[in-house]
Amino acid sequence: MRRGSIIGPVVLIAIGVAFLVRNLWPDIPVLDFLGRNWPYILIGWGALRLVELFAWTSSGKPLPVSGVSGGEWTLVVILCLFGSGLHQFSRRNSSWLPRINIGGLDVMGESFEYPYAPKSVKAASKTPRIVIESFRGDAQITGTDSDEVKVSGLKTLRAMESKDAEKSEKDSILEVITQGDQIIIRCNQDRADSRTRITSKLDISIPRGASIDARGRYGDFDIRDINGQVDIYSENAGVRLDNIGGNVKLDLRKSDIIRAIGVKGDVELKGRGDDVELENISGTVTVSAAYSGTTQFRNLAKGIRYTGVSSDFQFEKIPGEVRSTISNLSASNVVGPIRVNSTKAKDVQISDFTQGVEISVDRGDIEVRPGRLPLARINVSTMHGDVDFSVPGQAKFDLKATASRGEISNDYGDAFRIESSGSRGQILTGVVGTGGPSIVLNSNRGGITVRKGDVLAPLSVPAVPAPPVPPSKPLVRVE
Amino acid sequence: MYGASFIQAARGPIMLITLGILLAIHQNTAWGFEQTFPVLIIVFGLLKLLERGADKSAGPMQPPQFPNPGGQA
Repeated sequence: MRRGSIIGPVVLIAIGVAFLVRNLWPDIPVLDFLGRNWPYILIGWGALRLVELFAWTSSGKPLPVSGVSGGEWTLVVILCLFGSGLHQFSRRNSSWLPRINIGGLDVMGESFEYPYAPKSVKAASKTPRIVIESFRGDAQITGTDSDEVKVSGLKTLRAMESKDAEKSEKDSILEVITQGDQIIIRCNQDRADSRTRITSKLDISIPRGASIDARGRYGDFDIRDINGQVDIYSENAGVRLDNIGGNVKLDLRKSDIIRAIGVKGDVELKGRGDDVELENISGTVTVSAAYSGTTQFRNLAKGIRYTGVSSDFQFEKIPGEVRSTISNLSASNVVGPIRVNSTKAKDVQISDFTQGVEISVDRGDIEVRPGRLPLARINVSTMHGDVDFSVPGQAKFDLKATASRGEISNDYGDAFRIESSGSRGQILTGVVGTGGPSIVLNSNRGGITVRKGDVLAPLSVPAVPAPPVPPSKPLVRVE
Repeated sequence: MYGASFIQAARGPIMLITLGILLAIHQNTAWGFEQTFPVLIIVFGLLKLLERGADKSAGPMQPPQFPNPGGQA
């Protein structure tokens, strides 16, 4: 009988478990995990093979000529290609692999639309709390000068047969309930028959002073002209906010876009998603999330504290713009202290800033162009990448640049002292003026350029496209 | 003591483990695989040396034994 290794069945089980977890618990980033940790599969594979060899030796069984067969080496090559591809891809888009839905309503069902009878309730005060209970669908919420809460819209039922849809339509009535200063909007989608799926599209107008507490499962929120607080939790939502007076707190397990323009309070973002745009924010912005697309911040009066998966940054104020993707961060017209830290590859460009800067990246090129005087303390370091530091004319500073395995080019000529460091490195030191701040530049495996000039060359930052105009009404998403 | 045939059989798994470690280092540290790949050659050379040493200590090489295809004595 042919000797069988347990590697084949183990690999099959692992693949099955990975896809099962992905389908049943989409919040668990199993593919991201695989993308980060696939080399350990090779280590485990080899270790398992070694254990088998020890077991066969101790039990006196004959050993194979080679511990890993040619076919297995082919599989190893495929795994390496797949793993590195997955790693690169999952870094750019953490949710690229769609969930696989087989059969059911998504493929075979039929859509039935029913309009909601408009409902209106008078609020007990000018600042009621509007609670939207968990529902699937889109909501457009607008603040008005009226003291009434008005709800209208339509629901789409997807069912195999029309009688199922009619029954579910009767069960899932829209309720607008007043409880003291609180008004609850309930779609009752859960009461529907399990063979139907309901998606609602709500058009809600509320008093301008109201605050909103919304829970969603799937769908978009479009909220404007509200003076109260906005608090949204959703498993999957796009959120657009315009002219909000209070604090904003968004906790989205998944989102394609978050756009907030004109928020007077603090903004707090959590969760995972793709793109983020924040503009004209008067309060503090705190982000603790994993975004795989582009995040853009313009005109933040109290700055931002951003904590991502592999990078974090902090700006005290952003009169200009900060734009960040998974591999790049560019900032222009910003106020420090500025701190950027990345444990993965990230290019950083910062121009036209005041106050101190501290940048530390693992891999990536760094461009620093203060552009304004006086300079403040600057500390820049990259393990793999070049550092380009451009000094405005007449600046006073005390520079020490260390390229451990690279070259340093210097516009100050003989005024600065350059010496060798180790076998391939260089160190540049020099002082301009007296009492200038300390400038420390480090590159472990790259070059350093120190430039000077009254007129700064334009920064090689990609142009930022103008934000697209938000649609007047949210898109209806029918499942 | 494990002989030359064991070391020969273990060569593949050990190379696989080394490859996995180097790729993990590539992904999680500043050291790239393009810098660390000579470790694979070193490990391969060491295993070959070990195999040779085991061969010598076991005496002259025996011809490989093949199973009898006819199943007869």
